[in-house]
Amino acid sequence: MMTYIVFILSVIFVVSFVGFSSKPSPIYGGLVLIVSGGVGCGIIMNFGGSFLGLMVFLIYLGGMLVVFGYTTAMATEQYPEVWVSNTTVMGVFLLGLLMEVMLVLYVLKGEEVGVVFKFSGVGDWAIYDTGDSGVFSEEIMGVAALYSYGAWVVIVTGWSLLVGVLVILEVTRGD
Amino acid sequence: MNPLIFTTILMTVLLGTMIVMMSSHWLMIWIGFEMNLLAIIPILMKKYNPRTMEASTKYFLTQATASMLLMMAIIINLMHSGQWTITKVFNPTASIIMTSALAMKLGLTPFHFWVPEVTQGISLTSGLILLTWQKLAPMSILYQISPSINLNILLTMAVLSILVGGWGGLNQTQLRKIMAYSSIAHMGWMTAVLVYSPTLTMLNMLIYIMMTLTMFMLFIHSSSTTTLSLSHTWNKTPLTTTLILITLLSMGGLPPLSGFMPKWMIIQELTKNSSIILPTLMAIMALLNLYFYMRLTYSTSLTMFPSTNNMKMKWQFETKRITLLPPLIVMSSLLLPLTPMLSILD
Repeated sequence: MMTYIVFILSVIFVVSFVGFSSKPSPIYGGLVLIVSGGVGCGIIMNFGGSFLGLMVFLIYLGGMLVVFGYTTAMATEQYPEVWVSNTTVMGVFLLGLLMEVMLVLYVLKGEEVGVVFKFSGVGDWAIYDTGDSGVFSEEIMGVAALYSYGAWVVIVTGWSLLVGVLVILEVTRGD
Repeated sequence: MNPLIFTTILMTVLLGTMIVMMSSHWLMIWIGFEMNLLAIIPILMKKYNPRTMEASTKYFLTQATASMLLMMAIIINLMHSGQWTITKVFNPTASIIMTSALAMKLGLTPFHFWVPEVTQGISLTSGLILLTWQKLAPMSILYQISPSINLNILLTMAVLSILVGGWGGLNQTQLRKIMAYSSIAHMGWMTAVLVYSPTLTMLNMLIYIMMTLTMFMLFIHSSSTTTLSLSHTWNKTPLTTTLILITLLSMGGLPPLSGFMPKWMIIQELTKNSSIILPTLMAIMALLNLYFYMRLTYSTSLTMFPSTNNMKMKWQFETKRITLLPPLIVMSSLLLPLTPMLSILD
């Protein structure tokens, strides 16, 4: 099972995305976002990115999702919608689950899956140690490169976030 | 809106387009598109009524979908070519998805439905920015990936856009919707020649922007958003009736005016590449556009449109200041004799 852990985690990832895309109340959307964040962290960690995975937990789940949860709790209604309360929501959720199950069966049974790129069996998801970078961890080097060679990206992203806040304040301010 | 915030947000719209046009990394291009989209939303919502909010929501939803498709095409390109630089797109699937994404951003058929509704719901100045500046960024990306675009898809979208732009504008009396359908048709002309000669696409874009700027400035000057209020221009500033006449006929592509230059060059380039039915069809469908421009000129400058008697004796309030109107009018009508200078572009 451990060789196919990334595949299993990716299936849980897609299922939780289906869970919030079928639009229950935002509180329940936040619940599956926690699950998908944790599972996404697991996927990144399996590729060797322990720093980025912990960043997902800390900043995304521990910062942004907490604020989202508080604001949603302030704005929630008396009987929020669950997946089983509304026929439409349940129908869409089951449809997404069905499509994912069919895709998984197609991947497991068939020799090769060629949707946009070739994917030959579950073995493609197993992580092999190529051992190119030696003692250095690639993802820490990547993060360091973001702040040295990628200074322009940091500036642009930072400016986008600042302008995002300004835009949101402007839009919700009203007249 | 607070002037400082407004300036910041407007500069961010400019910055977003500049980042798209200057970057060589696909991710930066995507970031530029998102920055552009994010910053133009409050500009579209300058007045706070439900109409503008609905229009900005529609704009946001369509453009965000297009950005998602663009990101998917970028990732597929990455998987197949292993690099992030802007060159031609190596995989046909990624190329088709990217072309569709950029067509959604430009407002080409079959993704044209948002253009009239969004343009109608916002103020004239915001509509001006929407129809001119926002077209620059997607067109620059189309220019850069033009060697790998699937010809059939692009030409189908172009011809259908010219058709929709012509037919859709026929029953309109609202000026902003007329400008929106005109934009759809002009985008069709621009993308039709993209694979054959991208330089002509840029030429058409330049002249289209000049003419649309002129038209919007004239509308802002007389504060008119319907055909009826435009027909009262003879009473407010009689000179602008002539200018509206000239600019509208230039937009329709009539020969002694500069709007003819891109159409002429495009038809010439298409016939040089042995496609004759296509430019014939395009030229015939451009006549539909010319019809509703001529109807506007008829009601504005050629006749005194029927109106109530108090409309004929209007108060002269303080004139709005319009930026750069005389140079724009000159450039959008008198550039045709300069056509031989196009040989310096190659």
